[in-house]
Amino acid sequence: MASNKYDVIVIGGGHNGLTNAAYLARAGKKVLVLERRHVLGGAAVTEEVFPGFKFSVCSYVVSLLRPEIIRDLDLPRHGLEILPLDGTFTPMPNGDYLWRVNDHGKTRREIARHSKLDAEAYEEFGKAMQAMCRFVKPILSMVPPDPSTLNPRELMKLLFIGKRFQGLASEDKYNQVQLMTMSAIDFLDQWFETDVLKATMSASGIIGTFLGVRSPGTAYVLLHHYMGEIDGAFRSWGFARGGTGAISNAIAEAARELGAEIRTQSPIAKIIVKNGRAIGVALQNGDEFYADVISSSVDPRLTFIKFIEENQLPSEFLEDVRRYKFRGSSGKVNIALDALPDFKCLPGPGAHLRGALSISPSVEYMERAYDDAKYGNYSRRPYIDMVIPSLTDPSVAPPGKHVMSCFVQYAPYKLRPGLNWDEQREAFGNNVIDTISEYAPNLKNIIINKQVLTPLDLEREFGLSEGNIFQGELSLEQLFFLRPVPGYAQFRTPIKNLYMCGSATHPGGGIMGAPGRLAALEILKDVKTTQPRTKPARLAVAEGIS
Amino acid sequence: MAETRDVVIIGGGHNGLVTAFYLAKAGFKPLVLERRSQVGGAAVTEEFSPGFCCSTLAHSAGPLLPEIVRDMRLERHGLKIVTPEIGVTALSPDGRALRLYNDVRLAAQEIAKFSQKDAAQYPVLQESLSKIGRVIAEVLKLTPPDIDDPNRADLWAMLQTGRSLRKLGKKDMYRLLRWGPMAVADLVAEFFETELLRAVVASRGIFGTALGPWSAGSSLVLLIRVAGDSHPAGSAFFAIGGTGAITQAMAAAAQGAGAEIRTNADVKEVRVKDGVAMAVVLASGEEISAKAIISNADPRRTLLKLVDPTHLTPDFVMKLQNYRMSGTVAKVNFALSALPKFTAFNESGDAALQGRIHVGPEIDYLERAFDESKYGNFSPHPYLEMTIPSLTDNSLAPAGKHVMSVYVQFAPFKLKSGDWDSQRDALGNTVVKTISQYAPNFTDLVEDAQIVTPKDLEDKYGLTGGHIFHGELALDQFFTMRPLLDWARYKTPVQNLYLCGSGTHPGTGLTGGSGANAAREILKELRR
Repeated sequence: MASNKYDVIVIGGGHNGLTNAAYLARAGKKVLVLERRHVLGGAAVTEEVFPGFKFSVCSYVVSLLRPEIIRDLDLPRHGLEILPLDGTFTPMPNGDYLWRVNDHGKTRREIARHSKLDAEAYEEFGKAMQAMCRFVKPILSMVPPDPSTLNPRELMKLLFIGKRFQGLASEDKYNQVQLMTMSAIDFLDQWFETDVLKATMSASGIIGTFLGVRSPGTAYVLLHHYMGEIDGAFRSWGFARGGTGAISNAIAEAARELGAEIRTQSPIAKIIVKNGRAIGVALQNGDEFYADVISSSVDPRLTFIKFIEENQLPSEFLEDVRRYKFRGSSGKVNIALDALPDFKCLPGPGAHLRGALSISPSVEYMERAYDDAKYGNYSRRPYIDMVIPSLTDPSVAPPGKHVMSCFVQYAPYKLRPGLNWDEQREAFGNNVIDTISEYAPNLKNIIINKQVLTPLDLEREFGLSEGNIFQGELSLEQLFFLRPVPGYAQFRTPIKNLYMCGSATHPGGGIMGAPGRLAALEILKDVKTTQPRTKPARLAVAEGIS
Repeated sequence: MAETRDVVIIGGGHNGLVTAFYLAKAGFKPLVLERRSQVGGAAVTEEFSPGFCCSTLAHSAGPLLPEIVRDMRLERHGLKIVTPEIGVTALSPDGRALRLYNDVRLAAQEIAKFSQKDAAQYPVLQESLSKIGRVIAEVLKLTPPDIDDPNRADLWAMLQTGRSLRKLGKKDMYRLLRWGPMAVADLVAEFFETELLRAVVASRGIFGTALGPWSAGSSLVLLIRVAGDSHPAGSAFFAIGGTGAITQAMAAAAQGAGAEIRTNADVKEVRVKDGVAMAVVLASGEEISAKAIISNADPRRTLLKLVDPTHLTPDFVMKLQNYRMSGTVAKVNFALSALPKFTAFNESGDAALQGRIHVGPEIDYLERAFDESKYGNFSPHPYLEMTIPSLTDNSLAPAGKHVMSVYVQFAPFKLKSGDWDSQRDALGNTVVKTISQYAPNFTDLVEDAQIVTPKDLEDKYGLTGGHIFHGELALDQFFTMRPLLDWARYKTPVQNLYLCGSGTHPGTGLTGGSGANAAREILKELRR
């Protein structure tokens, strides 16, 4: 019987919570991870939804996972294996298609089919984006500065960014500024003329946001997702063998080996705060655990509004937390298949099915999908990003059968008055099937079973407030030193010894692990230092830049 | 034999005139060349129908920067500005009206009729905006710094801005940082619950742009406007005699200072030799050479039309072609046989009629109006801003009759089907229909109407893409990026050729800011 006193308690066993725990355990801390569900991983989880069919229920592809984490935690030894996801296939209503693969020559020839100019531009574009990523990368592994203090360390960080920006070639400066401010389409319009190419590329600019491809700020999200494509560790997006849950399990294994204790089915009731300090947590079953540090990987709404009494927090901080935007905009449909879908524009099985299958035929299609959502409807014709992992990793489906994972946008968490998701779920799922069937008519005949996840389900099942897959929108006003709320972007909170380490902190969502790692490094700094802090910002150190 | 001048200014719009004044005041002899028969550009008053005069395009000032009014002594040159006590009134389809007085207390009392909570919040927002507005006002007066190697002046200016930014205090400073990139619909929702109030304040963030209230960055546009006028919904700045009276006064001031103005002088070309601007060539074939050539025309017209692009690098040309300037605003001027009877205003003497009248009762109404323009259609239910200048200036219409000036948004420059000439009347009818919902007898009062489409703005007034601000006001085209990164300091890649129009920082409405900033920078160059 283990004692109930720990150095650190991590709330939530998602990939960030586990990463956070692993790094703290690695530093010799006695760590306890408490996960509400019966399975670890949060949104990075594999579940056998139907007998024999294993799904990456929520997050389904990986590429942003920070290489330093893979290295530090030796994840391959703990069973992490990334299989390539080759290319993106976009069927078009006119019977044609756009098929981009990792092989540059092939992609170039394919794009040239649509436009010779774009084939040229595509190379240039790739180079430009790489330069942009090189600029942004160090910022991803940096503790955001606090621009409101005159603390030299903080100013140094701002200076560091300024200097880096100055260091860019003027061409790259121009692109960088545009990326931070423009809409995905305005940005892509400058490079390309082929509508379907722009539509498909712009899609990654809206994933997880409540924005349209024409909304300013989406160009940045485009970059956020592009980051992976040039990542040192894997050159492209990929699957984890065994589904994305395998990533969480590998991190959990690493954490356990380093001495962390992990408990599932342990839902938190509240965070115990005594005169301004977090000292422990109480489970719903009444059990209490105590620790010097509480690190929460769940989103701010759960952490500060559900788990902590209002009177424990400054009202202005609470105001900001309430204002923090979630606005889930996507759903998920997981389908067990008897056979492979057959696309009108490229019949039969083939390599195109091994990559991402993107329903994003035109810019107007994408924008209209958004218009529906703005007024509280799910898109009549949504953007859909599909993958069939069983083609690359047979272990996830019975022989000859397949699993298809469909990410669907837009599905607004708040439906217009009179509609509710429990009544709309079925119609929503069918609408997705109908949409895909327009391109792959055989789909309806090969469906064995399907799981439909609405934003409401994501909130209920996975504790993602308003079903936002990034624990809060990736919009400019909620990034960097403004994430999650102004003045508290350095993983610390108004409550002493309580920290945030989830996707709601810098640098945000995606299976990246960066927030969990950065938070751990910050926590260790505080635990080491003895003298009490007067101001959270004070302790942030420029070494945060790694 | 070509005539020689020290400074030639292409275009007699308000910014061109402001630049001309400051250069003349500094002892130079600028020659302003205006294509049309009268100066003013988009700030002109014209007789659009026998006996009926109206501000053809802009009908309300930005407002003008006080220092410009002072320096140019515009009052002395006949300018009379009126600011109605009710700056703007928002109409609701249910026949109610929200009167927003310039006096915040009075405004709050009116708001209280809709929501006590909002009445309490309005002064709070106003206070925050006026603090933030003061900081932005400083930024608007800055010459954007040279990113690559900021000189001492740049660093000093940035330091000053940093200081005043800190003076805001943590709360407002973070607000400024957070609001900048935000959707204005979110900003107003943080303060108000009344849809009508939300909409009228939010409309300030989308006027003249290709943004809807849900577009990220629309808050920036609001903040830029707040720099000159901190009322959340804005007030009204009218000139007796219409906005043309403003530019007439400016012209008089410039001439008084020693500038020469020539109308009907259509510059067709800026002649460049070895990367240096040498002279301008008029449609008449006349050639005028000058040490400095300053263009009040928009950046694309100046550098891609007047200058032969072969003098520019392909990269620069490409970027300028990507400079976003596709207009969304149309203008309709009505000649009315009598004062329209608005359901919301009981007596015809209602003070609300004297200010701006806003139609666009809900955020979603504005957003849907914007949606249409994304797909190349003008809105069937447009967002309108109406003024009845003949109420404050009876010289504009025959006795007992009136003129009404209406901004119409959204009307995209590029239509999906048909061209603007074939759509002009349809647009006019849409506007009449929309107004009739709030003033049932309106249709019967219309004697005549002047419908100015975005295409007309380009053809008649030289606004490329029909964009009233010489280019979209957005994060990616603001400050150091207006019109292009590295070219935000009123110079161009062509030596001795400068920009002074709205396509340069700050580039906001009828304030004269761009012209004043440009003059300051150009003087430094001329004195080298």
